[in-house]
Amino acid sequence: MPTVLAMADYDLPTRSASGFILRYIAPRMEPVALFSFLDRRLPFQLFAPQADVIIGMGHGEPDIFGGQNDSVILEVGKYDPKEVNGKVIKLLACQCGVELCPDMVGNGAFCALGYKDDYIWVMDADLASIPWSDEMANACLGPVIDGINVLLDGEESQKALDTELLGYSINAEVEEDELIRSCIEFNRKNAVLFGNGDARIRARPKISLPLPPPPLILPLIA
Amino acid sequence: MPNEEFERLKEALKKAPTPEARKEAAEAMRRYNLSRRGKGSRPTLVSLGMGKTYPNAIPLEKIPDEIEKNPEFYELMKRIVE
Repeated sequence: MPTVLAMADYDLPTRSASGFILRYIAPRMEPVALFSFLDRRLPFQLFAPQADVIIGMGHGEPDIFGGQNDSVILEVGKYDPKEVNGKVIKLLACQCGVELCPDMVGNGAFCALGYKDDYIWVMDADLASIPWSDEMANACLGPVIDGINVLLDGEESQKALDTELLGYSINAEVEEDELIRSCIEFNRKNAVLFGNGDARIRARPKISLPLPPPPLILPLIA
Repeated sequence: MPNEEFERLKEALKKAPTPEARKEAAEAMRRYNLSRRGKGSRPTLVSLGMGKTYPNAIPLEKIPDEIEKNPEFYELMKRIVE
């Protein structure tokens, strides 16, 4: 079963988050990466029913998960339940843990991980072409990556959430910048899991890349 | 050691989002920015929200202006620092 990895990449926050996922998650996946202009509803509808795990990153609202340029990928009441049925789902987006995640579990998803409020972090805008090297962003996005990697190791979704929460706690403890620490604690407080905490997926192979990827050269919306 | 200016910002953000409170919080954020030890060349607060009244990316030096003019962003900052 393939993985569906849906990632927007058109502004600073999506560039930063997709950069981390490209660097640390995408190499472990089968080639169904809906990245940038492919991150739209139609490709998602085609691939999602075959997947056992959906990993999404984009802008969100309580009832909407967005794709490239704020196109709608998933909206409460407007998707086919077979797109989520029997899947483990992780959405890195604002507020999807309020309505969309519980709705997907109600429509048959094994579990859905999301956030109850805005997902916020401090990034260095000058590192937008090599976002994976941004240490300020890593304070928040690093734990997300660790949690997703636990899922891809074939571990339980509850363990993936626990790993993410532990990562936030460790980073908050060592962070000297008060604003960044507040962002870490804010995200920690808002991370949620709905559905079966024992749900797991087939383990994906671990791949360690010796070299970082080349810089991203796609243009961003100002 | 806690940054005193950040503590003042937290206090300022505890009030209801009246224009006066937003102005006070904006001033506190400006003072915090001045006291903040430099980290990163262009630090920017970003969020993955959709349909918000505030931008998804705000350079730290512009946060005081956004706090002052936008009650929704004031409330977000309040939730972040509480």
